[in-house]
Amino acid sequence: MLDFVYDGSFNGLLTAIYEIYYRRQVPQQLLSRSSQTPKLFVREERIITDETKAGKVYEAIDNKISSRSLRHIYYAYLSEHMEAGIWIYHYLHLGWKLGNKLDLLLSDERVHRIHRLSQKVSMERHRLLGLLRFQLLRGNIYYAALEPDHNIVELLAPHFAARMADQNWVIHDVSRDLAAVFNRKEWLATDFTRQHRLELLKEEEYYQQLWQEYYNSMAISSRINPRLQKRCMPQRYWKHLVEMS
Amino acid sequence: MMEILKKLKILADSAKYDVSCSSSGSKRTNQTGGLGNSASSGICHTWTADGRCISLLKILQSNNCVYNCSYCVNRVSNDLPRATLTPDELCDLTINFYRRNYIEGLFLSTAICKTPDHTMEMLLQTVKKLRKEHNFHGYIHLKAIPGADNLLIEAAGKYVDRMSVNIELPSERGLRLLAPQKKHEAIIKPMNFLTSNIAAGKAERRKSRKAPLFVPAGQTTQLIVGATSDPDLQILKLSENMYKRFGLKRVYYSAYVPVSHHPHLPDISSPPLLREHRIYQADWLLRFYGFKADELLDDKNPNFAEDYDPKTDWALRNLDYFPVEINRADYEKLLRVPGIGVKSARKILTARRMHSLDFEDLKRIGITMKRAQYFITCKGKYSGPTAMEEHLLRPRLTLLPPHTAGPEQPSLFSFSSDVIAPEDAFTSVSGEI
Repeated sequence: MLDFVYDGSFNGLLTAIYEIYYRRQVPQQLLSRSSQTPKLFVREERIITDETKAGKVYEAIDNKISSRSLRHIYYAYLSEHMEAGIWIYHYLHLGWKLGNKLDLLLSDERVHRIHRLSQKVSMERHRLLGLLRFQLLRGNIYYAALEPDHNIVELLAPHFAARMADQNWVIHDVSRDLAAVFNRKEWLATDFTRQHRLELLKEEEYYQQLWQEYYNSMAISSRINPRLQKRCMPQRYWKHLVEMS
Repeated sequence: MMEILKKLKILADSAKYDVSCSSSGSKRTNQTGGLGNSASSGICHTWTADGRCISLLKILQSNNCVYNCSYCVNRVSNDLPRATLTPDELCDLTINFYRRNYIEGLFLSTAICKTPDHTMEMLLQTVKKLRKEHNFHGYIHLKAIPGADNLLIEAAGKYVDRMSVNIELPSERGLRLLAPQKKHEAIIKPMNFLTSNIAAGKAERRKSRKAPLFVPAGQTTQLIVGATSDPDLQILKLSENMYKRFGLKRVYYSAYVPVSHHPHLPDISSPPLLREHRIYQADWLLRFYGFKADELLDDKNPNFAEDYDPKTDWALRNLDYFPVEINRADYEKLLRVPGIGVKSARKILTARRMHSLDFEDLKRIGITMKRAQYFITCKGKYSGPTAMEEHLLRPRLTLLPPHTAGPEQPSLFSFSSDVIAPEDAFTSVSGEI
């Protein structure tokens, strides 16, 4: 048996898909990195990312299937689900036959599971549009830390670039060492690890205190319902919420 | 500094019984490189311990009220700390909360200070400052004060995204009894005024994209459920009328939270949450499912059942409408099936463009069959585990947890939160019924 291993980038994934067709060889898995535990009967083949090959696959999806499917694929890729790679391949394989009707075939597992991944990612994106919290640091930078299930920093950035257009901000995915950085004109994604402790501006603590006070006074004591609260706002996100700490 | 903290606590505390928190429906953009825009879908920023979403900074500018409505915490005769925020203080809070992404914007309400005009002017000053001085483009929901001059309401409408006038209680009689200083006509007047101005604003925008926005996210209202003896039917009829006559975006319902003792108020220990929940479910059915109030309730049954959601209840009383054939029924008909919500109905329409669907297909596209199975056929086949007869279906579809199901008659004020079954609980929030 055979696994393809690409470098974790979207172009890497598209290159791997190109190689499947070029080599006429369908692997068991398309992995974003080598599996941790060596597998006895599985051979791993490294795929070298090639922008031209990736570009061809990208164009083909956009032209022969639809831009909607392309978006689903990108979102499914960002889910970082272990099997996302090979699922994307099977979804595309069906897509070459069905063209822009691909996304109508909801009852087909190959379509359904990609939609499910894509849905999860856009759901988490939407959640974090609300749950992200900025803190004002020395040097007038608004800094937000998050640890999302999926790799969504790039999906959040455009929203905040349009909204907090007059602020310098950093949105930092602590678990992936990634950040989107905005300088009041444009944003870019970059590798990022925090070296120092956060130095909050004095006024920051004041507004955090106000917000906590406000948050606590909003609950109606005769309606307390922690289960509903957790269902709407899963506990794994609480760590970076000013009002929950 | 401590001063603001104290004021914030007092004024948030007084505002929390206002239920609307939606930040949806506006299309204000940030064109000038200023601060903020609106997301048309609305965004929730956090959830309080009672499970309600916080989207906007919901606060009163002042709780110093001249009225004495008996159901309200802020009534003048209530002994309670009073505070008023200045427009500048409110702007500072809004802007700084917004910059940290705590909120989508501001929901500003207030008690009546001195006179309606004085009060409306105070609100106007605040929202004008936010837009003009702070270049703020986030969402603003503002209360229109009944009895205030139309000119003031119109001026405010140019700065805000949504406006609302609370009708407070479902009947004029209730209003006379519990809020004698508020007049029904005085409440309807600004609603009417807003309706016609919103329509006029829209017409202007159609002619020119540059025409100024006027309350682009529309008008809403709110009423209290369970403070008067009005039955659900009357409440639902009122809402139906509001949607038709005033083109309201939403009617919000809040279960009466016992805040005082008064001979005209029901003596209850907890708010009637299940009743509120049923009315919300029915409200979705009015707005998105093509139901009419008359179909859901009538004079013989003027209140919703505790043990069935309104849609299932309707289905059980109208079994001759079923089964619905999944492969042929149109959208409206699909929506009538208990367990098939707006999302599911759309998915079915999409999937059946490719091929006709059987039960396995339905499961695979993510339709929950638990309730639906009793009311549908796929390719002519019925797969419910029992014949489609009312007495067989009723026990299988009840929403009451087994230990509370019993012959006990539901009474108007007996509902409490712990009887809402888990599978039932989310439907009034998501609207998928």
